[in-house]
This record gives sequence, structure tokens and C-alpha cells, in this order.
Amino acid sequence: MTLTIATSVDQAIALLASGARPIAGGTDLVVGARQGKAPLPDQLVAIDRIAELAELTSTDSETRIGAGVTHARLMTDGLIIERHTAIADAAALVGSPATRNVGTLGGNVMNGSPAMDTGAPLIVMGAEAELRSADGTRRVTMGDLWTGPGQISARDDELCTSLVIPAGGPGSGSAYVRLEYRRAMEIAVVGAAAAVTLSDGVLTSIRVALTAVAPVIIEIGDLDNLIGGAPDRALHGAVAAAARDQATPISDLRATDEYRRHTIGVMAARAVDAAARRAAGEQIPVPVNRSLGIGAAQ
Amino acid sequence: MSLTEIPAFARADGPDKVSGLGRYTADLTLTGMAHAAFRYADVPHGRIVELDTSPARAMSGVVAVITDADVPDIYLSAEIADRTLFARDVVRYEGEVVAAVAAVTPEIARAAAAAIVVRYEVLPAVTDIEAALGENSPLVHESWDSYATSGDVVRDRNTAMRSELHRGDADAAMATADVVVSGRYVADASHAVPIEPRAVVAEWQGDHLTVHTSTQVPFDARSRICETLELPTSRVRVIVPHLGGGFGGKCGAHFEPHIAALAKVAKRPVKLVFSRYEEFIAPDRRREGMIVDVATGVKHDGTIVARAAWLGIDNGAYMADATFFPQLAAMHVAGPYRTGSLKIEADLVYTNRQPSGSVRAPTAPQACWAIESHTDEIAVALDMDPIEFRRRNLVATGDVGPMGQVYDEIGALECLELATASAQASADQKPLGPDEALGVSMGWWPTFAVAAGAFAKMHADGTVQLVTGGQECGTGAVMTLRNLAADELGIDPELIELVYQDTAVAPEGPGASGSQTLLNHGRAVEVASQQIAAQLRELAADHLEAAPEDIVLAESKASVAGAPAASVAFTELVERAGAELLGTASVEMPEYPELPTSSTCIGDQGMGAWLAPQFSCHVARVAVDRDTGVVRVSEVHTAHDSGTIINLMGAHGQVEGGVLMGVGQALTEGTRYDDEGRQRNAGLLEYKLQTIADAPSIHTQFVEIATPNAGPRGAKGLAEAPNVATAGAIANALAKVIGQRVRELPMTAERVWRAQTADQSSTTTEQDQS
Ligand SMILES: Cc1cc2nc3c(=O)[nH]c(=O)nc-3n(C[C@H](O)[C@H](O)[C@H](O)COP(=O)(O)OP(=O)(O)OC[C@H]3O[C@@H](n4cnc5c(N)ncnc54)[C@H](O)[C@@H]3O)c2cc1C
Repeated sequence: MTLTIATSVDQAIALLASGARPIAGGTDLVVGARQGKAPLPDQLVAIDRIAELAELTSTDSETRIGAGVTHARLMTDGLIIERHTAIADAAALVGSPATRNVGTLGGNVMNGSPAMDTGAPLIVMGAEAELRSADGTRRVTMGDLWTGPGQISARDDELCTSLVIPAGGPGSGSAYVRLEYRRAMEIAVVGAAAAVTLSDGVLTSIRVALTAVAPVIIEIGDLDNLIGGAPDRALHGAVAAAARDQATPISDLRATDEYRRHTIGVMAARAVDAAARRAAGEQIPVPVNRSLGIGAAQ
Repeated sequence: MSLTEIPAFARADGPDKVSGLGRYTADLTLTGMAHAAFRYADVPHGRIVELDTSPARAMSGVVAVITDADVPDIYLSAEIADRTLFARDVVRYEGEVVAAVAAVTPEIARAAAAAIVVRYEVLPAVTDIEAALGENSPLVHESWDSYATSGDVVRDRNTAMRSELHRGDADAAMATADVVVSGRYVADASHAVPIEPRAVVAEWQGDHLTVHTSTQVPFDARSRICETLELPTSRVRVIVPHLGGGFGGKCGAHFEPHIAALAKVAKRPVKLVFSRYEEFIAPDRRREGMIVDVATGVKHDGTIVARAAWLGIDNGAYMADATFFPQLAAMHVAGPYRTGSLKIEADLVYTNRQPSGSVRAPTAPQACWAIESHTDEIAVALDMDPIEFRRRNLVATGDVGPMGQVYDEIGALECLELATASAQASADQKPLGPDEALGVSMGWWPTFAVAAGAFAKMHADGTVQLVTGGQECGTGAVMTLRNLAADELGIDPELIELVYQDTAVAPEGPGASGSQTLLNHGRAVEVASQQIAAQLRELAADHLEAAPEDIVLAESKASVAGAPAASVAFTELVERAGAELLGTASVEMPEYPELPTSSTCIGDQGMGAWLAPQFSCHVARVAVDRDTGVVRVSEVHTAHDSGTIINLMGAHGQVEGGVLMGVGQALTEGTRYDDEGRQRNAGLLEYKLQTIADAPSIHTQFVEIATPNAGPRGAKGLAEAPNVATAGAIANALAKVIGQRVRELPMTAERVWRAQTADQSSTTTEQDQS
């Protein structure tokens, strides 16, 4: 096995072209290999020391998060908390302090797990992944990137360099909540992200995406009929019903399909509630799970 | 100076453990050492039709492969001799060891173990406790009646042990009740999960064997090696480096004989280090699953007239040490209450699952959860406050217990009052929300006294070494034993070192099991220290020209009472003696009165222990997310009667750890099986321990009652007791919030959610006594 520590994106891309696999924090790759999911590849290129990948920049219209930005940074970064609160909510729930200190957004996204926490927030905010290879750069939506559990549409020689997210307009708010049985080292049983925009107390946009209830993170369709309404209980009920309707959960050790179907409705409604409250100006500290006591009061 | 006034001092092993400098068994490397791997059965019940080790032997780097054919023909386990070191003919649980390989690297060893060919005729797996008792159930052990047993083992087919506890005529008494409440409670099996998976390094020098191993009980490990490999005690030495926790999981002997046998064949030292998966599936130390069916008859005023119960306890495939489990569980189902007439029947049942064995307070958390849930249900049926119901029925000094024992000085009621008052005070300050409630549970645990020994040495530099048969498994022997010696000798505990376990050096003792370290080794340490103190007094008396009884020992100096100015340092006294000062003590088991027991087959095994048990009351403040069923425990208020507290810091640590383990058992820790008896969540991703982020705030008070027949200074032990009552307290708080009982343990979020959608109340029958 060879491990090359790359110092530039170009160097990393060249190595990918010759068959190497990128390793960022290694919290999926190495742990998975230890668990026997897949052996470590013969050639690895470490991308965690590439300065460009650790950049987090913004303009008025978009935010660009380098693929190498860690969860620890995402959960504390002022801009992310301000503009893309749901991502900070999600990053703050990942694993433990150790996992968050090394685990990256790019690794989370490219690992393609349907239980990943940052996925649903990225979808509701309309993020795109920027993929670079020797052939050039392209952008894909999250919906196009994830094709199945652990499966992505990116080619092996493509490096994810950043996630590009449109800046939400005034009156927008987002939140991510997940069902967890304990407060650290947990994997989403189910989870939901919502992004909404309010104008004069009326809903002008709403997007909701669901974690761990389908082979990939899914966005709930057909919510447009809710636009124009108030962020009230009826809205929560409608979102919960749509989430339960569109989820296709499985039964496993963590939960039965029946329980997942019930709780995904609860999570979706809570995500919308928290997102709308944030949109209305309420400060709900990150992560929502802790401040609103998702999974039981404090 | 009272013992609790001795200033808090850091655990001697703390800095090593926290900084990573501490050496555990897995850190040992010996020259030429090979690495071991086991081939497990994988099939939970099957007859071996082919076992071919030649593919493993043929692999380069493999230095030894052994099976049942390569070790002495011995059936083991003292209570029921139902197994061999390596599987013979039939495998009975997935983690049973079929063969062992030693190779130059762990990777080769694992590959070679996997290359061994084993084929089975699959036999029907016995996995249901109740079905196993049926006439037509397949047998886990076809020839069960041919096994040798010791003691009063009552067996039949899949019943490994049956105990009954009878007092009075329970049927007749039940008929006189105003109200009979009956219910069923089912607890899943769970695990000890020490942070250090076990490890063994075995090395032969000529015909002498040294085994380094992560055991709580080095002398048990030594006797198992001697028994199975037919070696005299004098040729086997067991050494225990730092131990990364045990929680009972490292009691008993485990794989020391396998690795010793392997090292003999390999002609080099061999090391075994378990993976987390192996730590889950292979050892014979799982906390047993249990069914409790119980009915209690009460009068309207809260008087309990009768209790009848049946307990089904999952023993798993082989007898580890569980023959006393039915008896222990029966005591917990009787509970620390005046329960009138009793009829409790308990069956320990063979299944094709991993064997059950002593995990911290065996049987107690589950049985206590069941009976304390039931106790609240009775109070509800009587429309009585659960605290008041307990107050009226709790046992007190002089009462007669279920075994006919007359209780010594005990503080059960004091525990109830202190813990409930503490919880209430907190709730007064921060009122309970609409999804919150307080739940109360009592607990008790026996105090097992056995014989033990200790050596003590005072060196010329004034430091002291203590050598005992005990073992520091995290419970704080490094603190309490030093406290006792420091107090006897008048020196700073920091000057005392506890020598870690080495059977070639220490007097035999029960090790770190059954809350015995302080109780038994502590008594021996006291005597050994007193012997040194006596020598110091003699020497000082000579030097200071006073009578030995007038000599005061303090701050490493001896002086005459009333004249502290003229003193002589211990260092000088030891120098005068010309040799280090030695103390050697062996203390007997205390004498207990004979019990007028009316039980059919519960021997008096440990029963003296119930004369002055440890009592506890835990009160949990619990919040429920009704929509998801997720339960959070925010506060646990505890009060413990463990007799005199020798080291307050250590005592708080014990209670805090026990409570957190109890929260896990209450909410998230349960082993799941497939239909054939394989564990489905044998790993830390799906077997959910509590994390420090989940820890409630824990408020502990101690009821220090001078119990005459307890251990040193009236201490009773505090290792297992804190793990008894927590789940019951959480269950009772939870039931108050949701208005329903969750009848399965752990009370997972999904189970809580389901309980809210289906009525699961106990049956309450009003009986007309007019
Ligand atoms: C204890 C523990 C707890 C965890 N808890 C959570 C949790 O709560 N929520 C959650 O979502 N996840 C969790 N994870 C999973 C993991 O930590 C996250 O998915 C993390 O974001 C992965 O990032 P990484 O940098 O470590 O990825 P790596 O392991 O380095 O890589 C993951 C995969 O992505 C590929 N890859 C990485 N970077 C790039 C790139 N820039 N371009 C192309 N491919 C790339 C790698 O080749 C690999 O296939 C946990 C993991 C552990 C070990």
C-alpha cells in the first residue's frame, strides 16, 4: 500500500487519475476497513493537508465550503451558523469531538451513506458538489450525486473540491434534527432538514429532506401547495404526513420500519418548526437537538 | 481522625491510566512471542461431523494448532461439569471455541483459524426460555444427567438449576388479600463491556507456566489452569497488570488454559488479544435474560399478605457460575419488604446462547426493575403514594427476612427518606415539566464474607507495600485498602503502595468479585497493618522508655501519649529493627447464625450475607419525548447504606459509575439475537452504551449505620449495590409520565413508543373479603 500526502489539488487529481483513492479524515474509510466493509485500497492519497480544500469563502450570493472543512469548524463557524444553520446543526451531531475534529464535509458527502447527517441540509439548501478531475471541473446537485447506499455518480478520478450553496434570502431559516437514542456516538435512526422562507409571516418557500428512510437522502416532493400558508400546526401536520408517505424505511437493529415511518414524520415537522422560527428571527442555538431537546426535554 | 477525614488523594493508578503510560496485558511483548486466534463454532447448535485442521497447519507462519484432542480429557466448571476446554462432538453456542491457532503474526493466526475446516450437522437451537422447559423441547445437553455436580444442584433436562423460596402458605394467604396485582416483566440479556477487551500472554519456562492475564480473579484463573492442564499449583503463576475494567465480565477463568496449552505446543510465548466482537460473543459472562411473572396480594391499608412468582433465567449453553442465580433473583423478587407469605420458583434454563455469568450484581438489576415496577403498580392499584407504600413495608432492624434471617442494624428506611427528600428538594427548586416525573426504586445486595489474607511490609524508608489476594479492577482497592493501612499505621496513604496481583507472591483470595475487596481483603489488611503497628510501638516504647500501649503513631512518627514533642520517626525505628517490618494476616469467614430456612433447595450459599445487606434507594428524574419514546434521565438522587464509608471520593465514584451503567441497562443496553441464538449487535455501534454526554447529575448520600457483623470498620462493600436500583427508578418515572408500563428491558425508545399505543397494564383483581 502506498500513501501519498498531497499538498495541492492538482497533485491529488493526478494521483486519482493513476488509480489512488482520496482519504480525508479517514473516519469512514479506515473505520470501514477495520470493520471489514472494504479493504483499504492499494494506493491512497491524503488530502487533509491541501490548503485549498480547507477554505470557506462567501459572496453575497453563495457560500463555498471546501471539501476538507471539518465538522468541528462547520458547527462553530459564524457564517455557516448564520446562513446555513441546518449544516451547523448536523455537523454538531456527528460522532464525538474526535470524529468532528478530523471528519470532513467532503468525506461525509462522498461516502454517500443514506444516514449521513449533512446530506439533508445540503439538499434543502440547494447545494451542488464541485468535482474536479484531469478532464476539468463540473458541478452536480446532491440529488444527482447520490445514487444508492454508499454509491455516488462521481467517477473514481474526480475529487470533490467544494460544496457550493446559494445564500438564502432575507426571511430564510433552516434546521436539521435527528432521532438519536443517546447524545454522542450516534447514527441517525431518522433525521430531517428543512429550509423555509417567510415573508410577512407567510411561507414563500419550503424544502424538506429526509435522512435514513430510503436508499439515499430524499427530498419530499409536492410541498408547493403549502406555500402561502402560515407556519402553524397544520403545516407541521402536512409535512409530517408527506414525510411518512414518501419514506420507504427498512427495519434493522436500530428501529423497525413502522417506528421509522412514525418518527420521520415527527422529525420532519420539528425541522420545519425550528426552521420557520429561525426564519422569523428566533435564535435557536446550534444544534436544535440540544436546544429544543429533540428526543426529550433537557 | 476518622477515616473519611483522611484527605482525598489521587488514585495511584489514575495518572498511568489517563496518560496512556499504564501497561495492560495487551501491551506485553515477549521475545519470540506468537499470536493466537480462535476458531469459533459460528453454528449455535450442531454436531461436528468433520474437523480438519490440516489447512491451518500447512500455512507458513503457523506454529501450533490445537483442538479438544490436544488437551487433557477433563470436563470443567465446578458446579456442573458440562463442558470441555475445546468443543467436543457438539457445539452449543456461536462463540464456543473449536480450535486455537498460534502463528507469527495475528493476521496469519486469524487466516489460519479461518482455514480450518469444520462441518456440522445442524441441530435445533433452543432459544426460548419457556419453550426450553417444555416436555418436547430439544435438549441443549443430551446427556445432562451424566455430568458431575457439586453442592445442591437441582436439575432436570434443560433446567440447569431450580430454586424455590417458600414462606408460609402463599396460596392461602393470597386468598385473604383485598387486591391482587399480577404482571410479567421480561429483561433482555446484556453485557459487562469492560473498556479493555481481554488479553492473555502465556509463557513456559521448563515445566513452569507464567500467565499474564486480564482477570479480576487471578486465583480462580490459576485453579482453572491447574485443573484443565493437570498442573500442580506450584508450577503456575498468574500475574495481572493494569486491568481495563471488568464489571464481573472478567470473573471466572476464561482463555488462560487455551493459551497456555497453545504455548506449550508452540514452544514459545503466545499472546491472545480479543477484538470487541470476540469480547461480546465468546466469554461465559453475559448478564442473563430473565422473565419475571409475579403476583402480590395486599390489603387496602397497604399490608402485603403474599407474593407468588416464577422466574425464568437464561443460563445459556454452559454453566459458568450461575447456579446461585435463581436463589439471588428470588431474593430480589422477594425484595427488601415485609412480604408476608412467599412462593417463589426460579428456573435457570439452558439455551443455545452464550453462557451467563456474574456481571456486576448478577440478576439484581433485572429482578429489581421487575419488582420495583410491580411495587409501583401495587401502589397505583391501592391508590397509595408509592413512597408511602414502600415506607409502610420496608424491612427494618430486627425484622425477619425471606430466609428467616433476622436483620442486623440496617438503614433501608433511611435510604428511602434521604433519596426521596433530595429529589423532592430539587423538584421544588426546578418544578417538573409536563413530560417529566420522579420515580423511586429500592435496591439491596448481599455482603459476601469469605476468608482472605494480606501481607504488609514497612521498608527502611518508611513506605509500605500491601500484598493481597485482591485485584484493582477499577473499583478503588488502590484507595480503600491504603486508607485502612494508613489509619492503622499513622502514615500518609501516599506512602503506601498496593502490589498488583501475582499469585506467586500474594496470599490466596477471592480477587475483585462480589463486592469483596474491601470487605474481605480489607479485614486482612487491617490485621497485617496492626501487626506492623504493634512492632512500631514495641520499638518506640524501647526507644522512648514508655509502655507500648502509650505509644501514639501519627505522621510517620511514634511518640508517647501526651508528649508529642519527643518523637521518633518510623524510618529510624525500622533501621533499629535491622530489617523491614512484616505483617502477615489471614482472616476467617465471620460466623453467621444458622438460618431456619424453609426453602426447598436454596442452600445457605452466601445466605449469611443477607443478615446485613447493603440497601439503596434511587430516585430518577426522567423526561419523555412522547412523540418518539426517547427517554432522558436528568437527575438521579441516591442514598446508600453500605455501612461505614472508608473513602468518600471512591464511594461517590462507585455510585456514579453504577448509576450510569444502570441508565444504560434501563434504556439502551440489550443484546439482540437471531432465531438461532446468534448475537446481532455484538459491537459498540449497535450495542448502545451510555456516553458521558448522557450522564445525569447524580446526588449521593450515605447512610452510615454501624452494622455489627460487617467488614472492616463496619464497611459493607459498594461495588455492585449502585448498579441495582437505577433501572427500576427510571421505569417508575417513565410509567408516571406516559401512564403505561413498558414491560421489557431495556425500555428502548421504540418500546416506549409502542407502550403508549397499547394498554399493557398489570392485572388488578379486587377480591371480596367481606
Ligand atoms: C465514531 C464515528 C461516529 C460517526 N458519527 C457520524 C454521524 O453522527 N453522522 C455522520 O454523518 N457521520 C458519522 N460518521 C461518519 C464520518 O465521520 C463522516 O461521514 C465524516 O464526515 C467522513 O469524513 P472523512 O473526512 O473522515 O472521510 P474519509 O473516511 O476520509 O472518506 C470517506 C469517503 O469519501 C472519499 N472522499 C473523502 N474526501 C473526498 C473528496 N474530497 N473527494 C472525493 N472523495 C472523497 C474517500 O475516498 C472515502 O471513500 C462517524 C464516524 C465515526 C468513526
